[in-house]
Amino acid sequence: MPKISVVSNVLQANDAAAAENRALMQAAGVVAVNIISAPGSGKTTLLQQTIPALAEGSSAVLVGDLQTSRDAERLADVAAATVQINTGSGCHLSAEQVAAGLGELDLTGLDFVFIENVGNMVCPVSFDLGEHARVALLSVPEGDDKVAKYHTLFQAADVIVLNKVDLLGILDFDLDRVRDDIAQVNTRAPFVQLSAKSGEGMDEWLGWLRALRGH
Amino acid sequence: MHEMSVALHLLAQLEALAEEHGANAVTEIELSVGALQGVVPEALDLAFSAAAEGTIAGGATLVITEVSAEALCRACGQAFSPDVGCYVCPSCGAADARITQGNEILLTSLECKCSEDN
Repeated sequence: MPKISVVSNVLQANDAAAAENRALMQAAGVVAVNIISAPGSGKTTLLQQTIPALAEGSSAVLVGDLQTSRDAERLADVAAATVQINTGSGCHLSAEQVAAGLGELDLTGLDFVFIENVGNMVCPVSFDLGEHARVALLSVPEGDDKVAKYHTLFQAADVIVLNKVDLLGILDFDLDRVRDDIAQVNTRAPFVQLSAKSGEGMDEWLGWLRALRGH
Repeated sequence: MHEMSVALHLLAQLEALAEEHGANAVTEIELSVGALQGVVPEALDLAFSAAAEGTIAGGATLVITEVSAEALCRACGQAFSPDVGCYVCPSCGAADARITQGNEILLTSLECKCSEDN
């Protein structure tokens, strides 16, 4: 029984597709942003407010969900284009799925492609989609221990966004605890506190996105 | 539960490697899995058994070795081993770590049966 020695990245097919996605968007002058959070933290609402504020029609969205096209429908009015990717029982988007989604988009004239990942704070972290930046999103109702519990997501994030800050003071949420945990995990990423509903803090988020795009 | 995705990626590679080496069965597979991958070995084993059934790697044994996390501080260049959930540089105190080891899932070897073994 021969033993074959190899050193092979098991996710190499994903990573190769991710590199192609990145090159494709780079060539088109599009910045791709991968948003990862738990279900219900407000990814879609954040995008509903973000896209019109950046410039109407300048962004497309790839929306990952296990089922339904509800999120894509919510974004259809504000985005230049939306593509719903249903993963079935898949707990994360793969670079191949994103490649198929990009194939349905006309990248010409777009500033951003937002990738709304499947709501999950573990599995999406392992899959490079070809994004230029990764957003780790959490929200006040989820509680203040997410950064410590899901540290690999927050460690790898380029920006950490806390949504629903209009609920601070209403729900038990210790903001200092989150700050302390971030200090242990990732002090490179800016920590943006906002409410997509009230608009509080949105300017800092929009500023971060514009800086990412370089204008 | 991205273990099933990992198992399917692994299976695709095993099928390609077996064909390349003229093997008609894969009996043992060694994997190195980074500690930061969030892969649960038992779940990967179960997912792989299910995915591999009826394929060239059906019934194969998966041997999983966990690889510890290692990092380089972007702020000062210090190499260090982060503790679970803590990425603070022991030298300068920044939490600005570039992970150099612990994010990988590597196939390191496979044992095969070739036709002449039968």
